[in-house]
Amino acid sequence: MSFISKTSFAALALGAGLVFGGQAMAGPEIVKGPGANPKCFAPWSKDIKYFQWKKHKAPYRVAVVNGFVGNTWRIQMIQTAKAYVETPDIKPLIKEFKVVSTGTDAAAQLGAIEDFINQGFDAIVTIAVSPTGFDRAIRIADRNDVVLVPFDNILDTDKVMMVNQDQLEMGRMAGRFLMEHVGKSGKLLEVRGLPGNSVDRDRHLGFREIAEAAGNKYEIIEVVGNWDDGHAQKASADALAVHGKFDGVYVQGGSTGTVRAFMDAGHKFVPVAGEGENGFRKLVAKHKGEGLVAQSAAQSPGLVAISIKAALSALEGNVMPQMISVPIPFVETDDMKDGVNFWSDLTDNFFAANEFPPCDINITAVEIMAQTKDDQK
Amino acid sequence: MSNLRLWINQNMGVLLSVCIFALVYGLYSFLHPSGGTGKIFIQNSNETFVLIMVAMAQTVPVLTGGLDLSVGAVMTMSNALASVVVNGSPAEIFFGMFLCVAVSAFAGFMNGCIIVYGRLQPIIVTLATGAVYIGIALFLRPTPGGKVDGDLSFAATFDLNEIFLTYGWDIPKWFEGSIGLIPTPMAILVLIVVVIWIPFRSSVTGRGCYAIGSAEGAAYMSGLNVGRSRIAAYTLAGLFAGIGGLYLALQTGSGNADVPQAGAYTLNSIAAVVIGGSSLYGGAGGVIGSIFGAMALRSISFNFRVFDADGPFGFISDPLLQPLFEGTILLIAVSVGAARVFQVKNRLKLFG
Repeated sequence: MSFISKTSFAALALGAGLVFGGQAMAGPEIVKGPGANPKCFAPWSKDIKYFQWKKHKAPYRVAVVNGFVGNTWRIQMIQTAKAYVETPDIKPLIKEFKVVSTGTDAAAQLGAIEDFINQGFDAIVTIAVSPTGFDRAIRIADRNDVVLVPFDNILDTDKVMMVNQDQLEMGRMAGRFLMEHVGKSGKLLEVRGLPGNSVDRDRHLGFREIAEAAGNKYEIIEVVGNWDDGHAQKASADALAVHGKFDGVYVQGGSTGTVRAFMDAGHKFVPVAGEGENGFRKLVAKHKGEGLVAQSAAQSPGLVAISIKAALSALEGNVMPQMISVPIPFVETDDMKDGVNFWSDLTDNFFAANEFPPCDINITAVEIMAQTKDDQK
Repeated sequence: MSNLRLWINQNMGVLLSVCIFALVYGLYSFLHPSGGTGKIFIQNSNETFVLIMVAMAQTVPVLTGGLDLSVGAVMTMSNALASVVVNGSPAEIFFGMFLCVAVSAFAGFMNGCIIVYGRLQPIIVTLATGAVYIGIALFLRPTPGGKVDGDLSFAATFDLNEIFLTYGWDIPKWFEGSIGLIPTPMAILVLIVVVIWIPFRSSVTGRGCYAIGSAEGAAYMSGLNVGRSRIAAYTLAGLFAGIGGLYLALQTGSGNADVPQAGAYTLNSIAAVVIGGSSLYGGAGGVIGSIFGAMALRSISFNFRVFDADGPFGFISDPLLQPLFEGTILLIAVSVGAARVFQVKNRLKLFG
């Protein structure tokens, strides 16, 4: 094995030894808040830790390590990432940008993260395939002073900077919207997401927290729609067949399907709190004259852009919260504008919510879609 | 025919998989800024080891002309079990590791018994038992997590020197600069091949597996204990898969009863076996080929990390085209591995 250089081995052994002794050589320092740009990088809670990495020299090398690929949300996420690093503000900061998808295999994803660290990348943004098992990757990232940012599916640890939207708050927003438009009593339909998932649980709890607060008298009918238009449409149609009439709807995902089920059943339009699908917003825009009022709040594929922005900010030496709560992108009935926050010429599956004004991020559908064309040269 | 020629002919499958691996991995190492250094070998062997073990597990039933669809499930079950039992005092850790491997081997043994005594098709039996093993894994670990001894975890996922560093032992001088640089998973792999596979292959039971795969009737008429060989093959598959699951737990420091991951490992193990030159009809091949097959398979996706996106072949690293290229290269690799079967006039030639 003569081709292994002695020095690299010595450095490795030394590094490993030191990490073992419990004294991490590098990585972020834990400092006092507040952090930089708190409107965009809002701390998750008051007692969150703050991290500060030493300033890295621009331009940076950034990688996105995605896990599963194959649904619309993930594909749009990848295209958003590529569009974002081409925007004029960000382009000069990026020397190299890579995206890989490793599938649902934890060993492969950990390997890919470690590989980019070994290639000397400055920051790695990732959607973790598992909420645990990243201790080694975090240790190696810290040792090499690499900023690792899990987002969307995040980790059960406080040793790494993470980015997500507050799912409880999304549920609460829906509850408040329905209270405002339905009144304090009536019959509500709640269409839930994938059973067993923490996002489904949190949105449900947030919604119930508002809807079941003292002073409210709702009858809530709960069905499972799996965040999917087909499932949601069928579950809503079944609920309509059994219960006949509802005064308001909260649908976690598959909102287009739920609204269609109401239309098919000849039900009058009721207030709907739904997700950020383009199809849903198209329907709202078309039928708002007939009494359809809606709120469309979304877990946006644009989270990847904020995660990249957070990674860059950390590389610039700014103080960052350990857990960043991204403002929830939402629009209500009258804010919906064709070509701005929904697109009548794009498919129903497109996730329309991509605007984050506090972060100066609004990647339009045109930019995201243009990314595809560029690649097919 | 000269001895060398004979040897090459007999080992063509393995040699082809070595060539594919050398080509794909060589390209990656060449393009990687620190390619060919110790830390990259460690990283690559870590991320490949579990697939290697599952591919080895798949190989033995394939040699008998069967197929084991439960290898990914057994791996996952062992992984989930490890996250419960591999911690505590050194004795407890040792017992925990032993338990993981023993339970997995028993799961394989059950597969073998049901196939032999139930006289059922391996593919159906293992599909069913695989679901059972995944069920056990989910029961043991309903949500990802658990605890695996941290020191052991670190010692097992670096190089051999690290074992000494972790436990505060002195590294012998002769060892440090040579053998000590070998990544631990590779050392474990060599140990498994030397201690388990080679003795098994040369035993009567092991040779029986090859015999069943090439002509079961003839094997039976020659007085071989067909049932015993077959049960041994599935037991060994469980054992190998169990070691893989245990290692995954050490690598991730936790357990996860991940159903899609189990499925992906099972399918990839079959691909690795084919790249490794083993015949899916049984009777020809071996785990050495599968080891290189698994390494070649993994190395394909390594390249996506190092291809320069702005270079002439940058389109290959396009994230949305990666599965397409991975599949295409896999198809080519599998075809190369299997192509020699078309050339022979008589399949007996494959055995030299």
